[in-house]
Amino acid sequence: MAYHLKGSTTTPRRRDNPVVFVVPAALFMAGAFLLPLLMVLYTSVGGNALTLAHYAELVSRPLYAIVLWNTLQISAFSTLATVLVAYPIAYHLARQPPRRRALLLILVLLPFWTSILVKSFAFTVLLGQDGALNQIVTALFGDGARIKLLFNRPAVLIGMTHYLVPFAVFSILASLLAQDPDLRRAAEIMGAGRWRIFLAITLPLSMPGVLASALLSMILSMGMFVTPALLGGRADLMISNLVDFHVRETLDWGAASALAACLIVVTGIFAVLLSRIRPGQLLGREI
Amino acid sequence: MARRKRSPLSIAACAAAWSGYVFLALPSVIIIPMSFGNSDELIFPPRSFSLYLYEKYLLESNWMAATAESLEVALGTAALSLLLGVSAAYGLSRAEFLAKRLITMFLLSPAFVPAIVLALGLYLYLGAGHVSGTTVGLIISHTVVAVPFVIVTSMAGLRHVDQRLEIAAAVMGARRFLIIRRITLPLLAPSVLAATLFAFLISFDEVVISYFIAGVRTQTLPVKMYSAIHWEISPVLAAVSTLLTLLSLGICLAVALLRRGR
Repeated sequence: MAYHLKGSTTTPRRRDNPVVFVVPAALFMAGAFLLPLLMVLYTSVGGNALTLAHYAELVSRPLYAIVLWNTLQISAFSTLATVLVAYPIAYHLARQPPRRRALLLILVLLPFWTSILVKSFAFTVLLGQDGALNQIVTALFGDGARIKLLFNRPAVLIGMTHYLVPFAVFSILASLLAQDPDLRRAAEIMGAGRWRIFLAITLPLSMPGVLASALLSMILSMGMFVTPALLGGRADLMISNLVDFHVRETLDWGAASALAACLIVVTGIFAVLLSRIRPGQLLGREI
Repeated sequence: MARRKRSPLSIAACAAAWSGYVFLALPSVIIIPMSFGNSDELIFPPRSFSLYLYEKYLLESNWMAATAESLEVALGTAALSLLLGVSAAYGLSRAEFLAKRLITMFLLSPAFVPAIVLALGLYLYLGAGHVSGTTVGLIISHTVVAVPFVIVTSMAGLRHVDQRLEIAAAVMGARRFLIIRRITLPLLAPSVLAATLFAFLISFDEVVISYFIAGVRTQTLPVKMYSAIHWEISPVLAAVSTLLTLLSLGICLAVALLRRGR
């Protein structure tokens, strides 16, 4: 109605530009976020010495290759598991009437906002030698059937997947809800079965959401620290744990910083890819 | 929508979805009954029910000290990130300026930088400035992580604030601060409240950065929990975890209610 106002997207008086409201946050982030990151890069090249020795070490010592490989492998597997668990949930949520969806969404939001320590603790209780799962197993198959589920790769994957699923659900749900229901209705009228509709319309149209959730999962899992530290064994060290090891045990800040710099580069690449697919929705956590 | 024949596909999809919900709910389902256990060892399900572990948590001074520290840091973080985040969100959604997209990305990017990298950076940086190990250092660090959430939540809220009301007030001669105080902020209140709760919870649960920069006297609850899981697996953890889950649940529900009121 009031389209004569449409031109003025910048509100009231033009002489006091509201850009000043961004300044405090920008200054704060420059000081408390950008400078620390630069400090990491500075330390990684040996400060004023400007050497690449720490990076050379990353390439030459086999420990680093193993840990990097662990990190990639664990991240890839947990990303795959995450998408497989999250897709049916998102699909189910998308088909509910809004009120019921809001209610069911709490089942996804609660774990999203639950402390990772609470989850890790729960999994140590659930998966431990005398944990709930092993009690069921021994009750069914006798004492010999006890399985080792904690401090190994499966435990890390379970913990990571649990952490990542809510992020993926939000992202996939957004792309499912954005679909035009008329497309499905048209296909139905023309006689397509449910499978056909799903495979020909719903799934392809939700691919951007799936891809975005996979990239987000990779970003989040590459830098995972708590889960491998608490649920994994010695063979499941990830880059983050090695950074921690260097800071705490060997006091080798240069090596720690070089590792962190690598992590920034790798996750940065994934973040750029993510921003290409979902420019407006980089922060997929808002729903 | 109306006619619903249950095809094998929709039954399978439903089953898969519910297995997913169960998987997500599993930790809470395990933790809550455990917290009412009666003994000093971790057995699921507990043999008898009591409030023994809660009593232990409340009476042990180092758990209480860690909780108090977390509370202090989380309140500080909520206040600081609210101030910075809501103001930035207002600027980003009401102003046009050079490199706006870039600055938006910059302000949101802490959410995508791995916590360990931030932790190391802040450890080196705050250590150089002798702020490491202090409550102020923790508040600053947590604010870095919380601000992106506050900005996104507030920007979503600002999209629902009718700009014509602001324009009308300006036409009638109100100055910007008056407009913000009397029109924008009251309309934005639910989002601001939601953002505050998020910022509080992010700080209260933050572990990686705190683990790197907290001092002996400024150990937060998550840091204490981390070492408790790592070194001893104390049963008190079940009580602490249940309380934290209830806190998350309360905040989730509060935010859901705030959203519905919009």
